Amino acid sequence: MSTAVQINSVSKTFGDGAAAVHAFGPADLAIEAGEFVSLLGPSGCGKSTLMLMIAGLLAPSEGEIRVNAERVTKPRTDIGIMFQDNTLVPWRHVEGNIALQLELRGLDAREYHGRIAELLKSVRLEGFERRMPYELSGGMQQRAAFCQALVHSPQTVLLDEPLGKLDAMTRESIRTDLQTLWMQQRPTVVFVTHSIEEAVQLSTKVCVVTPRPGRIDRVIDIDLPFPRDLEVKRGAKFAGYVADIHGIFHGFGIL
Amino acid sequence: MASASSSATPGRTHGPAWFDTLARWAAKSWMLVLFFVCFFLAWEFSIDLFHIPPYILNKPSEIVMASRSDLHRLLEYTYITGLEAVLGYAIAITIAVPMGLAIAFSSILRRTIYPFFVSIEMTPKIAFAPLFISWLGFGLVPKVIIVFLVCFFPIVLNAILAFSSLSEELERFCRSTGANWARVFWKVRLPAAMPQCFVGFKYAALNATVGATIAEFIGSDQGLGFYIQISTGNMRPDLAFAGIFLLTFLGLMMFGLVTLAERLLIPWHISVRRNA
Repeated sequence: MSTAVQINSVSKTFGDGAAAVHAFGPADLAIEAGEFVSLLGPSGCGKSTLMLMIAGLLAPSEGEIRVNAERVTKPRTDIGIMFQDNTLVPWRHVEGNIALQLELRGLDAREYHGRIAELLKSVRLEGFERRMPYELSGGMQQRAAFCQALVHSPQTVLLDEPLGKLDAMTRESIRTDLQTLWMQQRPTVVFVTHSIEEAVQLSTKVCVVTPRPGRIDRVIDIDLPFPRDLEVKRGAKFAGYVADIHGIFHGFGIL
Repeated sequence: MASASSSATPGRTHGPAWFDTLARWAAKSWMLVLFFVCFFLAWEFSIDLFHIPPYILNKPSEIVMASRSDLHRLLEYTYITGLEAVLGYAIAITIAVPMGLAIAFSSILRRTIYPFFVSIEMTPKIAFAPLFISWLGFGLVPKVIIVFLVCFFPIVLNAILAFSSLSEELERFCRSTGANWARVFWKVRLPAAMPQCFVGFKYAALNATVGATIAEFIGSDQGLGFYIQISTGNMRPDLAFAGIFLLTFLGLMMFGLVTLAERLLIPWHISVRRNA
């Protein structure tokens, strides 16, 4: 396996002088290609900041980030990105929104018709191609947004709390879809979340991020078989990981 | 039983499509129509009831008769005032939208022209009307300029807001695709800005006829504003009201056309969907 994302002594400070806010770091991290890595931490700990820096949408104050051995100095176009507030535009139907990713890249969306249909099928949205975003529930919108983030088959996918605004039951069901998508294509995923169970269920590695300024306290390998269905989640090992991480955040004085 | 009755409404099964549309409109608007009928009936009978002399106020029926007697001139003046309003409005949109875009994206313009525009917005634009009349005379041009002034500011200020309020997420998404500025503009920024732009377009459409009328009050020898002023001076409130009704019609037409354009261009927006 090769290193997909390399983070070297990266830190970020917003503003300067007396008003400066130290938001993140310094932190080091290496993410291997094909891994699913969660950045798990309390809100405001700078995990989204780190994700934006990996995407090249925000410059680090110190240190450097390399994606596929190349130093990040401008927005990376070989990634797929998704946020808590999805980037579906209200004037396009589901298929059109997925095609927007392609059109902005100057690709011919018609050639991707099969690919879009296949993606929609794997998130159980077949038959909703011509629906407008406002006709969909919050969970269906996020599933459509996954397809938008993945249609151009990026090697690296950055997900910033994509399930953050959904109710508990919908989250549970969409996690399964997300896992299916990842297992089909095995891109490198950086997944920002503040749900311990979510991180354990989805990830090959969980990075525990401390409260502000965020530092990567430790990286935990999650050694559980995929797909992590109900059977795996019921097991003692799964509960053990969740309890351990819970303990770490308790130690930070958060839980 | 319930599903059977809802899927077979009488209008759909018995009449052509236009009849169905008309029936639905009537079902929705009959109260409004009834209100207008009652309003004009009350007006009609109050004149006799309260012995209001004809040089103060006339019956609606008398207003209709009087406007028929002077129909040719009234229509000509409606055309003139309408032309002033539409020209000024169209020029305002043509200049204000690109300017709003420029101000939204230029930090220099944001720090110079933008505060200047905000302070001018506090000035009643109509206060400039006498000056323009004295500079440019009684013709079409000063009226078009005054209409332009009362329309320009609501459009430009809303356009600035429209073009500078793209969500952070969408902006980042667009940057991550590597798309150039023009492509992002046509595919994302422009459609995203349309709803807020239309707030300005609708507000300005209401201003346009007001601007044209007041400009004609101040200095003109034709148009509905001129006509209303002359008729009032001649103690002919019936003719003045004929002019007022035609101005109302003009304003409704302009606002209606802008609303129609909004429905066609942004049917997806919540403000349009809610009223549909």
